[in-house]
Amino acid sequence: MDTSNPAVFVNAELLRLYVGPRVRAVIQVLRSDGGVVTGQSTDDNQILVKGSPPSPLSKFVEVVGIADSEKSIHAEIWTNFGDTFETHTYNQLCQLANGEFKHLFL
Amino acid sequence: MFSSSQFESNSAFSGGGFTFSHQSQPSDSDPSPAKSRETQGLVPVTVKQISEASQSGDEKSTFVINGVDVANVTLVGMVFDKLGRNTDVGFNLDDGTGRIGCRRWINENFDTIEMEKILDGMYVRVNGHLKSFKGVKQVVAFSVRPVTNFDEVAFHFIDCIHNHLQSKSQLQGVTPIQPQSVDMSFNTPVKNESTGYQTAPSTQLSGQFSSDGLKSCDQLVLDYLQQPSSIGQEKGIHRDELSQHLKLPVDKIMYSIRALEEEGLIYSTIDEFHYKSTACG
Repeated sequence: MDTSNPAVFVNAELLRLYVGPRVRAVIQVLRSDGGVVTGQSTDDNQILVKGSPPSPLSKFVEVVGIADSEKSIHAEIWTNFGDTFETHTYNQLCQLANGEFKHLFL
Repeated sequence: MFSSSQFESNSAFSGGGFTFSHQSQPSDSDPSPAKSRETQGLVPVTVKQISEASQSGDEKSTFVINGVDVANVTLVGMVFDKLGRNTDVGFNLDDGTGRIGCRRWINENFDTIEMEKILDGMYVRVNGHLKSFKGVKQVVAFSVRPVTNFDEVAFHFIDCIHNHLQSKSQLQGVTPIQPQSVDMSFNTPVKNESTGYQTAPSTQLSGQFSSDGLKSCDQLVLDYLQQPSSIGQEKGIHRDELSQHLKLPVDKIMYSIRALEEEGLIYSTIDEFHYKSTACG
């Protein structure tokens, strides 16, 4: 069992705090060109995701990777989350998982 | 479906620990005070929580998470390194907080069919038994189901937080918050649980209310019976009316009635269903 490489739940605001370690975020795909996907985070800010997205890409995608800047993630794993997703719920989860209940996750 | 091996019959219901979860999770309003939750059912946990769990006793005993004995757990995560063998299928589950080894014993066709659908990189829900083998914790799964609606992922982590809060408040014996407002305070951190999966969390919430708010339920019943309109009624108030008016299940009302009767605060009138307050108007 291994807890050495956790991925932190982030939205755009939390991404700023976690540049460097592994993060995970769910984004709504706005644009996809080349190897860069522009997405809207669960707190309605834009995030760039670099990597090789799967095709077809569904409306919501979870990406797990390394945050290489305050606004972008270099994704290693892409998971299509479908076309319906509760962004508000996920956003609240990000806040809880990094706040009061951080010890359950990291 | 009705095989003799203990876990396989449960996998058909894919709820795992079938008898336990049916008793303890939906009907938390059992009159037994929820001081020690022995019949827990499936506890939602993160791998991080498991890694921090201590073991009470030797290898065969249960684990302690949040101060509560935990035997069966439910996890949601991504499958990695799936390895199928003759007798079992092993894989690692990564839920973002860590990775844990899981194993699914293959006893019947059903097991093979279920595991064949699971591929690396897929999000799954694993229901299983926590075990320790040579100091390494792992999960012996009796149900592995692919996740199709990804709100389930968000829900699972919120469920872990909720369960953590519930165990913490029970450990303290008394709820630190007023029972009437337990809905409010649970609503603030997990406000959006209701948009996702309404049935399970709200049942747990009402369970919390009834198991920890026994005193306030008594108070509600007593208050209602002490109203001038109730005192005015010679034959007392029927317990169904109490249940309807206070919006509480009948068995909770009965429990409160018994408690109040013992205290000498109410008495039964024409039959065992009608009660009046002993206080004079």
